[in-house]
Amino acid sequence: MHGLPREVRSWIYNFFYNEHSVAYLKIDAQLCIAAKGGSVKHYGLSSLRIGKPVAEQLEFMEGLLPCPELPYHMAMVELPSGRVADLHLFADNACVWLLFLDATAERDNRQRLQQKAYEMTLLQERERQLNEKLQSTNEALRQSQAGLSREYQRAESLLLNILPASIAERLKADEQIADNHAEVSVLFADIVGFTERARSVGAETTLAILNYFFKAADLLSERYGCEKIKTIGDCVMVVAGLPAARSDHAEALAHYALELRKAVKLERFAGQPLRLRIGIHSGPIVAGVIGKKRFAYDLWGETVNLAARIQTSAEPDEIRISDATHKLLGPDLTCDPLAETELRGTGRVQMWRLPA
Amino acid sequence: MLQKKICMLGGFAVGKTSLVRRFVQSIFSETYLTTVGVKIDKKSVALPDKTVDLILWDLAGEDDIGSFRVSYVRGATGLVLVVDGTRAATLAVALTLRERAEAEFGAMPFVLLFNKSDLADRWAISDSEINELRQLGWQIYLTSALSGEHVDDAFRQLASMVTK
Repeated sequence: MHGLPREVRSWIYNFFYNEHSVAYLKIDAQLCIAAKGGSVKHYGLSSLRIGKPVAEQLEFMEGLLPCPELPYHMAMVELPSGRVADLHLFADNACVWLLFLDATAERDNRQRLQQKAYEMTLLQERERQLNEKLQSTNEALRQSQAGLSREYQRAESLLLNILPASIAERLKADEQIADNHAEVSVLFADIVGFTERARSVGAETTLAILNYFFKAADLLSERYGCEKIKTIGDCVMVVAGLPAARSDHAEALAHYALELRKAVKLERFAGQPLRLRIGIHSGPIVAGVIGKKRFAYDLWGETVNLAARIQTSAEPDEIRISDATHKLLGPDLTCDPLAETELRGTGRVQMWRLPA
Repeated sequence: MLQKKICMLGGFAVGKTSLVRRFVQSIFSETYLTTVGVKIDKKSVALPDKTVDLILWDLAGEDDIGSFRVSYVRGATGLVLVVDGTRAATLAVALTLRERAEAEFGAMPFVLLFNKSDLADRWAISDSEINELRQLGWQIYLTSALSGEHVDDAFRQLASMVTK
């Protein structure tokens, strides 16, 4: 300042003094207030008593003195009066001066800027957190959807294994299913001598035989457009002509029977070729689903009963068909007539044998 | 007259000012108002054998540790380290600030507060992490300046530590 003219020095002094409301305290070696002056009122320091310890009168001075490194500066300290001051401590012989320079405006400005910056940063942090959460939620959702769709496909394929596809669709649509089918053919087939042979070979081999038989029945159903309705013990029940009607149901099921007989002969059961008794009858039936949880698609009617009885009456390796079925067959399947036979609950019946 | 200077240290927006307001005036405001510089408050704490005035220096939080003004801490006898339990990164900030303060003025008692415990659905600090710190013998509190939960406990604990 020494190089400056007196007027400039004076102007700078006045400007700074007025702008910053300078106040001072002089603190003696006993850490008591020795003197005060300047804008003491501005900082609410009027009541400070000379000769008394400074830390007891100004709480923020607690622990600060004696200060080994003077001068010491603390920026923007908000005082109990609400004023914000830059505090400067500097030494002078045995005394310490404490200067108050008002920084309220500067602090307020800084705060406005800082507030914006921190709010922005907080928003960004929050956004990042939410995005992470969203992503992990999405991932979890995706996984459970994948799991659900696997479950659905499994349920779907299980359903299709026990029900014809069109019936399964209707069942899923909560439809009651009981359909009249005027023209179908029904086949029963079982294994000759099953009970005795099962006893002799044991459960495991028996199961393998049954598995072989039913698998063949399934495969051929697909090939000939028939439906395997169910198995009862060692007996399988297959139908042609439903759920979609077809005029050649009898022929289809006859060919099916011939192939099934051929297929099982390749397998041996208790040392002998696997042999079947097969019976077929044609006529009207009712088809429907019963049960709510463990539902089953099944067929009912006299046609079904008669088909079962014809099957029971058949000889080993024989495919025995009713007269009704025979009338529906084309010329390529010539059958041998059988003597009229008494069937339980039906009386005398004309039946035919499909050729080998 | 027994009075002790205590500094509140932690990242920005972790709740230092709110904890002081809850402790001193028993109030809470949802509005976030960042602190610039430092605010000084006082609260008398009656301990079984004495009463101590805590002079609480509520320091500005930082997002940049480099700009931390350690000079405010001169004369402090204890620290309140504040972490925002919904922002995991603020734990490291609080611990670094403590290191800075202790490097300058030596070791001093402290309590570690995981604040905003009311925001359970956004909580970002695992129990195992907190337990690990407890095993160091640290005094740790899960606080809520909003509800006041454990706020007095934490300050009273520190008051008794700095007057031992």
